[in-house]
Amino acid sequence: MIVPFEHRIVIFPMGALETELLKRIRQEICQTFSYQTELIPLPKDLSFALDPDRNQYHSTLILEKLASLAPPHAIKALGIVEVDLFIPILTHVYGEAQVGGRACIVSTYRLREGLSPITEIYCNRVAKEAFHELGHAFNLRHCKDQTCIMHYCRTVKDVDRKSDRMCRYCKVLLQDEIKRLGGV
Amino acid sequence: MGDTKILIVDDELIMRESLAGWLERDGYYVETVASGEEALEMLKATRFDILLVDIKMEGMSGLEVLSYVKETDPDVAVVMITAYGSISTAIEAMKNGAFDYLLKPFDPEELGVVIDKIIQHQDQARENLFLREQFKDRTRFESMIGQSIPMQDVFDLIQDVAPMDSTVLITGETGTGKGLAAKAIHTNSPRCGGPFVIVNCGAIPEHLMESELFGHQKGAFTDAKETKKGRLELAHGGTLFLDEIGEISMRMQIDLLRILEDRVFYRVGGTQPIEADFRVIAASNRNLGEAIKEGIFRKDLYYRLNVISFEMPPLRERKEDIPLMAEHFLHRFSQETNKAVDGISREAMDEMMLYEWPGNVRELENAIERAVVVSKGRNILPSDLPIFRPEHFSLPTDNSLKEIEKQHITKILSDNQWNIAKSANILDIDRSTLYSKIRRYQIQKAS
Repeated sequence: MIVPFEHRIVIFPMGALETELLKRIRQEICQTFSYQTELIPLPKDLSFALDPDRNQYHSTLILEKLASLAPPHAIKALGIVEVDLFIPILTHVYGEAQVGGRACIVSTYRLREGLSPITEIYCNRVAKEAFHELGHAFNLRHCKDQTCIMHYCRTVKDVDRKSDRMCRYCKVLLQDEIKRLGGV
Repeated sequence: MGDTKILIVDDELIMRESLAGWLERDGYYVETVASGEEALEMLKATRFDILLVDIKMEGMSGLEVLSYVKETDPDVAVVMITAYGSISTAIEAMKNGAFDYLLKPFDPEELGVVIDKIIQHQDQARENLFLREQFKDRTRFESMIGQSIPMQDVFDLIQDVAPMDSTVLITGETGTGKGLAAKAIHTNSPRCGGPFVIVNCGAIPEHLMESELFGHQKGAFTDAKETKKGRLELAHGGTLFLDEIGEISMRMQIDLLRILEDRVFYRVGGTQPIEADFRVIAASNRNLGEAIKEGIFRKDLYYRLNVISFEMPPLRERKEDIPLMAEHFLHRFSQETNKAVDGISREAMDEMMLYEWPGNVRELENAIERAVVVSKGRNILPSDLPIFRPEHFSLPTDNSLKEIEKQHITKILSDNQWNIAKSANILDIDRSTLYSKIRRYQIQKAS
C-alpha cells in the first residue's frame, strides 16, 4: 500500500516513555498502517481532564485535545499516557479512540500491573493496545477472532493472549480505509 | 454483534455518550434517548434487543420504562443502570423482569459479561423458536415420513395425544403405518421408559390367544411346562398395542373389555388376580362400525377403545409424500444392499405418482427394495418397477378397495399354486392374516 508521503501518524507520548517501546511502536505502525510516524511530546499538564473525585483522567477530553493539537498533515494522532483513564460510565479504560476519527489514546497505567517497564510482556501489551486503538481510529470495530489484535480484551491476561497481528478480515477492512483516505 | 440493537435511556448526556461510544466500538447498533417518554416513542418505531435504562430520571422513571417493555415485548432484555443509593430499586426491577442491573460507574468487564450473557440468552431463545418452527414444518416424526397436510395433521395429533393416558384407536388401510403411529405415541408419552408390547390379534390363533395375553401357570394345560407371563403383564408400566383388533374373536372381546375396565386378570390356570398398569393403543384396518353392524364386533368394546381415534391416510391421498418416501427408502436399501443406486428417473417417479398403491407405504417400500435389487444402473427406471406395468397389473377402476384386495390376493395365491407361506411373504402379511382374508373374502381355489 502506498500512502501520500505528507500524511503521518503523529504519536504524542506523555512523560518519559521508554525509547525501546516507542521505537517498536513506530516500526510496527509503519509496517502495518504504511504511514510514516512523527513524535510530538504531549503537554504534561493534563489537569483539564482530571476528575479529582475519581483521581482519574477523562480520556474523551484528552482525545479532543489530541485532535486539536495534531498538525494538519497528521492523518491520525495517537496519545500514549501513563495516567489512569476513565469514561464516565466505566470504572476505567485501557484506551479510547474516536472510531473513524482522528485521535486515539492508550494508557500504560493498568497495563503495567507491577511489571518493570523494560519487560517484554509490558512492551507487548502497550504496543498491542496502541495498535488496537489506532485500528479504531481507522474505523475498525472489535473483532470476534480472539487472536486478532482488534479483539476486545477485558483483562491484561486477554491482552497477553491475543497476537500482535490483525486477522485477514480486519486487514482487508484496514486496507479499504487507508485507500479511502488517499492510499493506493 | 452488528445485528444487536441497543437503546440507552439516560438523562445525563455524558453517560449516554460515553456508553454509546464504548458499545459502538464493539460493533453494536446503538441509539440514545434522554428520557423514558422518548424511549417509548423510539420503541414504537424500532425494535431493540437490549435496553440500558437509568433508574432515576426526570419524568418517567426507569421502572416505568421496564414495565412498558415487559408488557409490549417481553423478549427485550432490560438492564437497569443505577447508582449506589438506589440498589433496592434495582432489585425491585429485577423482580419485575429486568435482566440485570449495573452500578454506575461499571467495570467494562462487567458490562461485557452482561451484554454477552443477554446475547447468548437471546440466541438460545431464537434457536429454540427455530427448532419449534422446524418441528412444525417437519417431514418426519419418529419413523414416519410425510410433508403432506394429512400427515402433518397426524403428527400434530400424535403430539397432542401422546402425553395423555387415554386409549387410542388407530384406523386405516393395511400398510398405512398404524404400527409406527402407535410406537410414536408410546415414544412421546410419559410411558416411553416402559415396554411397548405388540399383540397382533390377527396372527395369533384363537386357541393360543388367551395364553398369549394373560399368560399361564405351570401345568395349566398339557404344554404349559413353565409359568409364563402374558403380554398384558409384560406391558406393565408401558403401552399395549393391539394390532388388527378387528380380527379378535367374540369370546376374547368379552375378556378384553373386562380387562380394559378393571385392569385385573388371571393367568390361565391361575387363581391370583394380577394387576397391570398399561396404556392401550388399538389398530384396525377394518371398518369397526360396519363390523358392529355385521355383529362380529362388540359395540361396548368399540366405545371403550374409541376414546381418541384417528385414521392413517392412505398413500393415494397423500401422493405428494411419494417422492420424499421413495428417496428415503432408496437411500436405506442402497445402503443395506451396498448398491450404488442413488436416483429415481423422472419416468419411474411419474409411474409411481400415477399408481394407486393399494398396499400403501408398505407396498412402496417393497417396490423400492425390489427396484434397488434389480436396478442395473445408478437410477431406478420404470422397468425396475414391473408391478406397475399394465401387462403385470391391471387396476380395476370401478371396484371397491376390498374388491381390489380380494383380486390381488386371489392372483398371488393362484400365481403361487396356493402356497400360503410364499403368498403371505409376497403380500407381506402373516400367514394367519392371509387365512383370515381368504375366509373373509371367501376366496376359493380355482378348480
